This record gives sequence, structure tokens and C-alpha cells, in this order.
Amino acid sequence: MDEYEELLGMEDDFEQQFADELEVMAQMDDDFRKRGPQRPQEDISDIEHLLGDQPVTPKAKRQKQDAGVVKRLFDPSQTQEVTAPSQSDDITPPSSPEQYEPSRPFRSTQAVLDISGFAAIPESPWRPAPATASLQVLKRPPLEGDYISVTDSSGSRVYLRQKEDTGPKVVDPRTVRNSQGGLGLLAVPVEVLREQEAEKRHQQVMEESQRLTELLANGVDEVLVEPDSREGEANNNDEEEEGHRSRLWVDRYSPQHYTELLSDDFTNRCLLKWLKLWDTVVFGRERKSRPPQPDRQAANQNSSKPNQANQNANRFKSKSQLTEELLEAELDQYKRPKFKVALLSGPPGLGKTTLAHVIAKHAGYNVVEINASDDRSAEVFQKRIDTATQMKSVLAADQRPNCLIIDEIDGAPVAAINILLATLNRKDGQGGEAGTEAMKKKKKKESILLRPIICICNDLYVPALRPLRQQAFLLAFPQTQPSRLAQRLAEISRRQGMKADTGTLMALCEKTDNDIRSCINTLQFLHGRGQRQVDAKMVQSVSVGQKDQNKGLFHLWQEIFQLPRMKRKRVGEGFEEGAGAGGGAQRFQNILHLASSSGDYEKVAQGLYDNFLSMRVRDPNLHSVCEALDWLSFSDKLNQVMLHGQNFSLLRYSPFLSVTFHFLFAHTHVPRINYPHSQHEASSRLHSSKNALSTMLADIPACVRSRLSELSLTVDILTLLLDIICPKLRPVNPQLFSSREKQQMRELIDTMLAYNLSYRQDRTPEGQYTYVLEPRVEEVVRFPGLPPRRQLTYQAKQTISREMEQEKMRRAEQLMLLRNPAKEEPKQSAQPKPAGNHLNHQQRLENIVRQTTVETRPEVDFFGRAVAPKPQRPQPTSDSGEKSTELAMGKAVGNSDVWFRFNEGMSNAVRRNVYIRELL
Amino acid sequence: MSLWVDKYRPTSLGKLDYHKDQAAQLKNLVQCGDFPHLLVYGPSGAGKKTRIMCVLRELYGAGVEKLRIEHQTIVAPSKKKIEINTIASNYHLEVNPSDAGNQDRVVIQELIKTVAQSQQIQSSTQREFKVVLLTEVDRLTKDAQHALRRTMEKYMATCRLILCCNSTSKVIGPIRSRCLAIRVPLPSTEEVCNVLTTVCKKEGLLLPPELAKQICEKSGRNLRKALLMCEACRVQQYPFSADQDVPETDWEVYLRETANAIVSQQSPQRLLEVRARLYELLTHCIPPEVIMKGLVTELLSNCDGQLKTEVAHMAAYYEHRLQLGSKAIYHLEAFTAKFMAIYKKFMEDGLDAMMF
Repeated sequence: MDEYEELLGMEDDFEQQFADELEVMAQMDDDFRKRGPQRPQEDISDIEHLLGDQPVTPKAKRQKQDAGVVKRLFDPSQTQEVTAPSQSDDITPPSSPEQYEPSRPFRSTQAVLDISGFAAIPESPWRPAPATASLQVLKRPPLEGDYISVTDSSGSRVYLRQKEDTGPKVVDPRTVRNSQGGLGLLAVPVEVLREQEAEKRHQQVMEESQRLTELLANGVDEVLVEPDSREGEANNNDEEEEGHRSRLWVDRYSPQHYTELLSDDFTNRCLLKWLKLWDTVVFGRERKSRPPQPDRQAANQNSSKPNQANQNANRFKSKSQLTEELLEAELDQYKRPKFKVALLSGPPGLGKTTLAHVIAKHAGYNVVEINASDDRSAEVFQKRIDTATQMKSVLAADQRPNCLIIDEIDGAPVAAINILLATLNRKDGQGGEAGTEAMKKKKKKESILLRPIICICNDLYVPALRPLRQQAFLLAFPQTQPSRLAQRLAEISRRQGMKADTGTLMALCEKTDNDIRSCINTLQFLHGRGQRQVDAKMVQSVSVGQKDQNKGLFHLWQEIFQLPRMKRKRVGEGFEEGAGAGGGAQRFQNILHLASSSGDYEKVAQGLYDNFLSMRVRDPNLHSVCEALDWLSFSDKLNQVMLHGQNFSLLRYSPFLSVTFHFLFAHTHVPRINYPHSQHEASSRLHSSKNALSTMLADIPACVRSRLSELSLTVDILTLLLDIICPKLRPVNPQLFSSREKQQMRELIDTMLAYNLSYRQDRTPEGQYTYVLEPRVEEVVRFPGLPPRRQLTYQAKQTISREMEQEKMRRAEQLMLLRNPAKEEPKQSAQPKPAGNHLNHQQRLENIVRQTTVETRPEVDFFGRAVAPKPQRPQPTSDSGEKSTELAMGKAVGNSDVWFRFNEGMSNAVRRNVYIRELL
Repeated sequence: MSLWVDKYRPTSLGKLDYHKDQAAQLKNLVQCGDFPHLLVYGPSGAGKKTRIMCVLRELYGAGVEKLRIEHQTIVAPSKKKIEINTIASNYHLEVNPSDAGNQDRVVIQELIKTVAQSQQIQSSTQREFKVVLLTEVDRLTKDAQHALRRTMEKYMATCRLILCCNSTSKVIGPIRSRCLAIRVPLPSTEEVCNVLTTVCKKEGLLLPPELAKQICEKSGRNLRKALLMCEACRVQQYPFSADQDVPETDWEVYLRETANAIVSQQSPQRLLEVRARLYELLTHCIPPEVIMKGLVTELLSNCDGQLKTEVAHMAAYYEHRLQLGSKAIYHLEAFTAKFMAIYKKFMEDGLDAMMF
């Protein structure tokens, strides 16, 4: 903290000095200032650390090499330095840029917590630089003075004398790639000057020794054989060379400064601003205490916000109010920002990880990274989060607070993400405690999160990330601007001695979809093949730049149905013509690549199927349509075989469907693609039909059910059945039906009951009442556009419905009587005995009841079980007569509490006999 | 029980109306005591199920007609629960295993095992075996059919299988060879007319023979359909007239219109319309094979004699693919497009020939 306070003081001085500088400048200066005082301290401590650890190797060592290699070497750092440049070009920058380039000191490798302790050392510009070698080549080590040993690939070793360089010290701002322009305006700090000087000298040594090495190699061995074939002595050198060569340009030229970032400025600023919000809690800085600078600050910004963010705010406010509002949110009770986590998302190769690293360093944090290559099981994850957020390194001089970067979080298991969430939402035991106080209680396991966490993912919408999305400050990465990317590529290729014009580089950008990493890798690949001249044709022909990327389905369909714009050539019929021409083959490859990288073949096929008929392709003979459908059915068959036999080796043939469609239907017009809904729609409708059928089948009595199947129902029965249950009924009261009509009605109701159909009263949205058939099988059998079938009138349906209800009750009653006649008997015979508590009507009707119970005493078999009599349906028209009526009445009275008696002869109205069973 | 189909269904082998010699053979089979596994097949509406129920009645007496529906839950090895409805009497068990979808193998094995493991106590008075009746065997997965092979032999002592299907082509050879195959062909036109007349007579109605013939034609000798049509005619208009129009099933009408649309114009736009109609048919639970068959029949009746062989050939080809694949609409549409192409070329050639 002390160190930091010191820093702050300097920062303030600086800002007073250069108050009118551009803010971006200020950021960079900030960066430099921060490093300035830190460097010596860091360096010394690291060397001390090393000395304690490994006294034999006092010089700097690259992180990539492990200790074993180091020990075996005579003078590792120098040997490495001399031999390494043999692979690079004449005017290239220093071969080991992490050591001598001023832009290197905060390399990502170094910034990561490194247990070995090797990482922190690299820069040592004030260390006596190796002298320029004399031109004389010695066969054995010189007796006095420093020397450099050089070993060529054949294993012969020579020695170069070192001399003190006393040349004039020239400041060459161009060699300091990253500080050009910006520093020209400033007073150059002396450290920078020394760095530059050291680098320049080093470069000279490099060039000299490299030339010598080449000379030697040519002299000793004409043919440069592969290093691996050499004998054991050379192995060490080979390894180093290999290690050096394998340094990717991507790493070598990765940006070290905020201003060098290629990604979108707005995104960068947002992230920076978010990170600055943490300053209050992490560094304990109260921004209020700082002298405000009224001339540059907008009126609406309160001074409690971080200074950097304040400056930035002017600019991006116009761009996105929303993000700003997010960032302007109040700090919580622990003075943390509202969002504890920033979640960066975007396609690969846009520089998300780089941005996170650069900004974290810029804001004064020590970066701790967890990525997919680490173990991310729940326990380990918990441990690492706790370690990173609650501790800080004690041994290293670098006492900056940690900033946790969780890379590739979309691949992390759900459990790990839940742990992260739990960490975020952890509440401190003492609620109102200030953040700084809580920090002191580090021993306590359950302390609140006080360090920023940056998460990085490619796919924001992975299900596992859903809970995190709600709590995170979301930042989506837009595409890198091709112009900026091309500019950077031009710079790199210039430094590597490759000739490439802007058009070529733009083509490269386009080909890789502005993927920075892929562009640089392609360049390096071409360089590694020995090509110094890159032109557009070569860029088109290499396939390395393309990555296995996942584009949207719509994009794929669009590509398939649209001819590429450049080539106006009309391709109609098929492969013969297409494959012959270069364009055809390329299109073939292109579509194949796109289709196979999309992966979701079934969806792609559906989209093709739904859209191909609406394409504007002249096809009078329907040949291409036929072919397309043949291909579709082929792919369907393929799919079936694949899924059924688990034979996934056939999967590779699936993308050819898309290629076929491209050659059959591609057109210069922009196609209108609709999302394929048809299959889903069809399957959901099929499902609802099946549901209706199965509801109908479920309650059909067994004797009918055994003759039915779903198939016969839909194909044969249902339509006709619906006709049959719509007979012509006279619109009169069913009481007035003739016996024939009554018979018909009875049959109708029987049928409907047997097939589990009924009418249900329903209200239409207009407020009218209708009767609908339940279950809704009508929808299953009726087709649109056909003449409507005859429907019953509302009254008829009402009548039927009522009759059905009665019939159902009758049957239920019958069934009940059939089931428990034996039980009722003792109850009823027992009833007359306690005479006191007889109900009125029971007393009166006692006679009838008794009479009927005697009559309906059921037949009982030997075991006392009731023998089921034949089910006797009440037959209204038949001559069942008075007796059975009375019998039914008696039962009804006996079974229910409700009864009623009709007093005859009291009215002058038309008299009718009304039976209980008709009322029921 | 008041549809004529149900009401007048014969319940014993002796009362069957047609294929009487086959009925006699079945009777002999039951009586000689050594009852084999049966594989009953034939087109729908020919009376397979009726015949099977008659055989069962012959075997066990009237007790088989007391049916109950049982809901069974079977747990697959993957802990997935499968719900299935079975229809059972004391003597037999009827299952439609295709209800269980892909898990039908488990269902079959479990059900047969439970039935077969219970032995009859009084074997002297009863048959010593129970019957498991599997319907729609042609929709069983291959997996289930292979599982059936061993089960059939293993439980031969206590259990007989009666398999019922439309076509044996989807039943694997080993099963076919383990069963006595019984084909139930469609009744002839006269037989259908006879049945219709008898039923009408029992109902107290008078059916003109012309109408009977017309119904028979429209129903395609499918007796179930014929009876339903006859009853629908009765509902429409009672005193029957000879030239009364017979109600048809909607999907057939719809399919015919689709075929007409195909013949009247051949273009991608029309194909798109046809696709919508085919989807409509499929979503109304009409099996794709039935659609294909109906389509071919309609198209063949509409096109020129020269084309007929080619069209039939194409139909066979695409129906085969349809069986192999899983997305019926592709194959149906492929056939439609092919027909359009052939038909269009033929018509244009014809026009050219007329002009010169």
C-alpha cells in the first residue's frame, strides 16, 4: 500500500503537469509511471530470490526453459541470445523481445502467479549489456575479457570476444515501438532512455552474432540438416532454438498497453471503468480527497468516482447510456460496485483475454488466471477463488492486489459456477463492517469478496452461465475493425521482413473474420514456410487461416442459397460444370466447410427443405427439385442408419447435402430465408391429435376397446362415426318422439357412451353457448377446405346431452344396485326396530320399502356371494308395467333423503303420471 | 354396443359369414389340442380380430368375453417407467406393444413372463396354457421381435402367442417360422353385400342391392368400413334409394383432391401447396404408407397408360425409402416431385407430337 501511495503522489504531480494531454495519453503515462519506481525493486528482489534458489544461474532466464536445461548450459542466457536469432531475419526486432523490449516487462506470462519464481526477472535494461562481439572468431575461450560461446547446429562451438561498446548513445524512439508518438510529447524518463539504449546495443550484438552463426553454419556444414538428427551435444541448443522458434508472433506482438489494444475502444473503456470502481475497496482510496479538476470534468459527474473513469465518461456517454448507467450505480455497503463480476463475451480471437490482462495490470492489479486447462472441479475451483481473492503474495516484491481472471468460463462445470456465485453473494458476518476492516480478517473463511473477478467466455448463452449472467456486468465484444487490424498486421510483417500490401492484409482479415490471432498465425505460418512476399492469391489459397467456427444457421442458409458476389458466373445444372471451373471447386469447399462446421445437420436440412422451393431458380422440368428431394431422402436414410446403428462414421457424408443445394439453387439474388417451423409445427399437431385419440380410447369399455386401434380409428371409423352420431332429429321435446325415434335416440346415446363421446357446453368468446364434442376428435378427422359435415343444431345437442346424463345416471345406479344389494338388506331390515328416530317419510313409505326389499332380495350362492343377475336396462316403451315402477320408486326412496309425493286430483290441469325414474 | 359393427359381430367360429372353410380348419386346430402359435395377417377390415376372438372363445368358452382393461406400469432397465394398457380376460391378455414406442422389447418380455409364469391349477378341466395376443406386430421394433424369438420357445408350455398384423413383410423370418401363419383375405364383393343385407334385415331395414354394391366399392371391401358406411347412409336418409351418395372418410376425399392438384399443374409452387396438404394428412394421424398408397392409386387412375409402369416403379422405390427413413414428408414429396417431372415431360412430348 505504501508503494501505492507513493505512486499516487506521483500520479497527481503528473496530472498537474500534463493536464491538457489527451486522456488516452494519460493512461499510458500512468502505466509508465507505475512501472518506473517499481522496476528496480522488483528486479533486485527477484534476483535475490533467484540467488537463494539457484546460485549457478545469476542471469535472467526465460520462463519456458526449466531448471534442468539451465544447469547444463555453460552460460545459458548468453548462449541463448546468440544462437536464437539465427532463425529470425536481418532487420527483425530483438529475438527475445521479452527481455529487451520495453514493452515486455508486463508480459502475461510474467504477470501470472508463478511459483517457480523465474518469471518476474526478465527485464534488466541497466544491467551491463553484452558487448558487441569482435569480428574475430576464436576456437577456444580467450584468456582475458568476456566472451560469448556460439554453438552451431552441427555442434561445433566457437567463442566470440566481448568488447565494451563506447559508441554514442542515441535515442531512437522508433525502436520503442509502443511509446512512439506518446512519449515524444513528454519528457522521456531516464529509465526509458536506458532501456532503449540497452536494447539497441543488444540488437547490434544480435545482428553480429547471427551473421556469424550463419557464416559458420555455411562453412562447417553446407546442407542444413534438421536439428533433430544431430548428436547429443547439440541437443541443448536445438531445444532452445526450438523453444525460441515456437514463440508465436501472437505472443510476441501482443499488446502491452492500453493504447495498443485493437479491440473496440468503448468496450475497453467500459471494462476499465468497471475495474476502477473497485479502487475504493481494494486500494482504500477515497476519491473525494483528491483535488477535483473542474476545468475538465463535466458538471453532472460526482467527484467520488474514479478519476480515470471520469475522464472517459465524457466520451462514451454518448455511445451508450445504458452501460454507463450500469457503471454509475452506487457502491454497495462494502463499497464494492454493484456488479462484482465482469463477463466478457465474444468469438475467439478478438483479444478478450489480452484486454483483461492489460486492463488489470493497468489498474494496478496482479493478475491471477484460471482457464480451461486448469482443473475446474468444484473443490479446486473454490480453493483457487479463495486463494486469489483473499490472499496476496508475500514473498514476491510484487505486492499488488490480485485480480482474478477466469478464462473460458463457458466450459466450466455448473458446480464451479455455482461456487463462484456463492462467493459473489457471500455476506459478511458483521453486516455494517467497512470493506477495509473486513480485509484484515482474512483468517476467517467466510469473508466477503473484495477483489474484482473478470470472466471470459465465447458463448454467453451456455445454460450453465445463466445465473451468472444476471449478476455480471456483461460486455459483448464487437468485431475488430479490419482497418486497424490490417494496420497492425502491416506493422508486424514489416518488422518480420515480409512484404505485404494493405489489400492483401485486408483480404486476410476478411478471410479470418477479423480474428486477430488467426491472422497473425497465418502470417507466421507463411513466414515460416519461407515466403517473404504475401499476395492476395496466396491468402486465398491457404486454408490455415480458417478456423472451425460456428456461424449462425441463417448465415449458412444464406451462403447456400446465394452465389458469391464477385463471381457472376451462372451455375445451373450441377457438378460437372462447377467442379471444372476454379470458382466451382472453391465454392464447393467453402460450403462444405461451412456446413461441416455448423454441425447441426438436421436443422440445416430442415431449413433447406423449407426454403428451397421458394428460391427463384428457373427449373421448368423440375429436375433439380427432384434431385434435391432425392438428396433429402438420402440424408434422411443416412440419419436413420446413423442413429439406429450408432454408426457415426457416416456423419461425414451429411454436409454434402448443403453443397448439393448450393449448386442446385444458388442464385445471385439475396434469398429470403424463413426459419423452418414446419416440422416442429407438424409434430406438435400430430402430438395433439394423438392425445385426443388416446383420451378417447382410454375410457372406452373393454369390449369395444379390444376391437379398436388408433390406426383403425383414424383411417376407418372416426369420420363415419361422427356422421352416425348426427342423425336427423325432430326439433321437439323428446317426450313426443315416436317409438321409432325414441329407439333411434337410445341407440345414439348407446353409441356415444360406448365410444366415450359426450357433448360439453362451452361458451364462445362472443358469449354464445355451444356444445362441443369431447374429446376433441373432430379436429383429428376434419380436413380444411372440404365441405362441412352436417352438424346437429344446438337444441338437438342439448337434448342428446341431457339424455346422456340421464342414461349415465341410470347406469351408475344400476351398477350400484348390482354391486351392493347384500349390504343394503340388513341395513333396511334393521331400521324399523328403533322406532323413535324414524324420519317422517320413512315411516310412511315403510310399507313400500319393505315390500321392494323383499322382492329384490338377490340370489345368493353357496358362499353368500351375490350372483349377478342379468343387467336389466329400464325400457321406457316396453311393458315393464306398474310393478317395476313401484319397485324402482321404492328403491329410490329407500336410498335417498329426498322424496316427494304427488297428490292426485287436486288440480284441474291435464294429468299425467310422473314416475320418479323420469325425474332422476 | 349399438354400432352395427359391434352389434352384429359374430362371436363363434360357427357363425362367421365368410371364409367358412378356414373357420372349420381353425375349429379343428383348437379341437385337436395341440394349439400352435398363430400369426394372423391380412388387410384391415378383413376380420382378423373377430376371427381371433372366435378362436379364443372356442378355446376357453364364454369366459374370454369378460374383458377388463388393466393399466400396467413396467420399469425398464433404465429406470424409465412405461405405462401401457392391456385388455385381459381370465384366459388371455391383449397388448398393443407399439404403444410403448422404442421400449417395446421390455414390455413384451415382462408381460409374457408374468403371464407365462403363472400356471393353471386345474389343468384337467382347462387348457394348460394362456394366450397372449399381440396386435400390430408389424410395428414392433426389430429388437423386440428378436426378444420374442426366445420367449416364444421358452414359455411354450404355459403360454401361446397370437400375433396379429397387416403384413408379414415386417415380421422377421424366425418369428414367421415359429408360428402357424393364417391369412385372412378381404371378403369378396358378394360376401360384403351379403353381410350388409343380413345386417339390414336384422335391423328391419331394406337395402337395395345397388346401394350395397356401391357401398362395397367405396369401402374397398373393408367390411368394417362398409358397415359403418351403411349405417351412416341409414342416418343420412332412411328409405334407402339406390343412387344415394355414400359418405366417405374425409382423408380420402382430401387425398383425392391432392392428387388432382398434382395432375393439374406441375411447378415448384404447386409442390409447395402439395407439401402443405401432405403435412395436413400426416398430422391427422394418417400413416405415411396409407397416404402413399392412396396417392398412387389416385395418380394412376389419372395418368396415361404408358406412364403407369414408371409411376408404379417410382412409388415402390420411394415407399421403400420411406420405410428406411424417418421423415415421411421428404419421401412423399420426393415421389410427388418425381411424378410431376415425369408427367410434365410426357405431356410436353405429347404436345410436340401433336404440333408436328
